Amino acid sequence: MSSANNILEVSSLAGGYGRFDVVRNITLRLREGEAVGLLGPNGAGKTTILRGIMGLLKQRVGTIRIGDTDVTMFPTHRIARGYAAIAPEGRRLFADQTVEDNLILGAWHRRREPQRVQALLDSVYALFPVLREYRHRQSSFLSGGEQQMVAIGRMLMADPLILLLDEPSIGLSPVAVDIVVKALIELRRRGASLLLVEQRVDVAARVCDRLYVISGGEIVEETTPEVVGREGAELINKYLG
Amino acid sequence: MFQMMLSGLTIGAIYGLLGMALSISFYVTRVINFAQGQMLMIAIIVAACLSEAGFNPWLGVALGPLAACVLGVASYFIGVRPILKADRFSFGWMVSTLGFGLVVENAIAYAVGPRSRGFPPLLNDIPIRLGDAVITGQQILALLVAAFAVAALEFVRKRTLFGKVGMATAADPEMAESIGANTMIVSAVTFALSGLIAGIAGVLIAPRTFANPYLGGTFNTFGFVAMMIGGGPENPANAMYGGLLLGVLAEGANSYINSQASDWFPFLILVLVLIVTPRGLFSTSNPLFRPRPARPA
Ligand SMILES: Nc1ncnc2c1ncn2[C@@H]1O[C@H](COP(=O)(O)OP(=O)(O)OP(=O)(O)O)[C@@H](O)[C@H]1O
Ligand SMILES: [Mg+2]
Repeated sequence: MSSANNILEVSSLAGGYGRFDVVRNITLRLREGEAVGLLGPNGAGKTTILRGIMGLLKQRVGTIRIGDTDVTMFPTHRIARGYAAIAPEGRRLFADQTVEDNLILGAWHRRREPQRVQALLDSVYALFPVLREYRHRQSSFLSGGEQQMVAIGRMLMADPLILLLDEPSIGLSPVAVDIVVKALIELRRRGASLLLVEQRVDVAARVCDRLYVISGGEIVEETTPEVVGREGAELINKYLG
Repeated sequence: MFQMMLSGLTIGAIYGLLGMALSISFYVTRVINFAQGQMLMIAIIVAACLSEAGFNPWLGVALGPLAACVLGVASYFIGVRPILKADRFSFGWMVSTLGFGLVVENAIAYAVGPRSRGFPPLLNDIPIRLGDAVITGQQILALLVAAFAVAALEFVRKRTLFGKVGMATAADPEMAESIGANTMIVSAVTFALSGLIAGIAGVLIAPRTFANPYLGGTFNTFGFVAMMIGGGPENPANAMYGGLLLGVLAEGANSYINSQASDWFPFLILVLVLIVTPRGLFSTSNPLFRPRPARPA
């Protein structure tokens, strides 16, 4: 495996919350410009893996490399400065602040580059025009789909090397899911590298080049959307139950 | 009556500033700093000692609040952060900030002696007539500073990026870290600011009190009541309104009940206020106590 074009390398990651590791022996990679899905049932450890990459797990072993940098020992706020950004599970918008404030806060580490922030803001509004319309609205007053767009937009404002998305389709109407999926495909076209946690196999298959299946805190299968398309039902029954 | 209102408002402005100081750090970290009164005290002591040593009293007025600011940062790193880092849901800060305040109090008493010193009058010997009532220059200054502090804090909170990241840290510290904010620095700056405000309150009131190492506790209590009456935890400006009300009530109690009534009357009012508007601090209807994912360390 040539590591030259890997933008993310996670090696033997293990970690969790209490005394027990929730995930074990996680080794995965993401190439530049690639989209990789993490599929798995509830409680499999998908969110925990993303938290590990973001530096949010208190107990963690293994190494994480983003770009050319070993970020294993970095605190979260340092990882957030250009290495990785996350659209987290449950969106976690800053509820009492406006849409635009949420977006601008996403670019907090670029606060001394106002032109850059403005350009990023324009590109987020181009991706989700509805957000420009609602930019002065308090973010908690938006619909679920619109809130997910804000969460994705806030992540994009950091303009990092890798994008982490945790179930962006959850709880969304079919129309909203379609908007989100199309946005992700557009991001890929622009060259973004993304790691996408999903429970919906169809969503992951539309966006991703490769898929890891997580179960019981471990990677149990590495596959592709094509394979899933062929033997989808079998695979889904086997792991996603 | 008018005179009583005026004195009430000016002492209330001091309680309000202290309430604001408490609520700023509470707003961001959900910690009540029980050492806040000692910041007011250290500003007074520093200013009094400098003037006693023969410096221009206004030098002390400038350096006292600065010392309080440093003490605010110290209280965060010694009394707050270690507790929240070990367990972000712990209430250990109740003891550690109280303990920090007591240690500071006694250290100062040991360093400069426990006796009361006089404080330079500053603008206190400039009387200004308003109809039948008299107000001093120092009291006018206190009111002006209070108004300015409310406006400035509202501006920082609503209009500056730092205010927004403070709100973000308050709402979801983990997410604030995930957008690149160093929540430790955000919190430390918040404590510095609240120390500074408490120190300013100190040099504003000091010409009417003595400089005594043990005067912090009383002011802390009144600041806390101001914050609670006003609903300050949600908005520092409310603490100022609570403080002004408290000041008028305390002065009123002194003139209409008896000269000791300000020791208990405001607390009676606090209890009544909390019964009528139960958005009190530890009430679950208070939106600040929605379940939160994490707390800054
Ligand atoms: N903050 C926490 N404290 C303790 N245990 C946790 C915490 N968060 C998650 N867990 C446990 O870790 C395990 C994996 O959780 P995780 O959130 O990573 O799963 P997931 O694959 O993202 O599931 P879902 O699809 O439901 O989001 C679960 O058993 C869960 O109970
Ligand atoms: Mg999850």
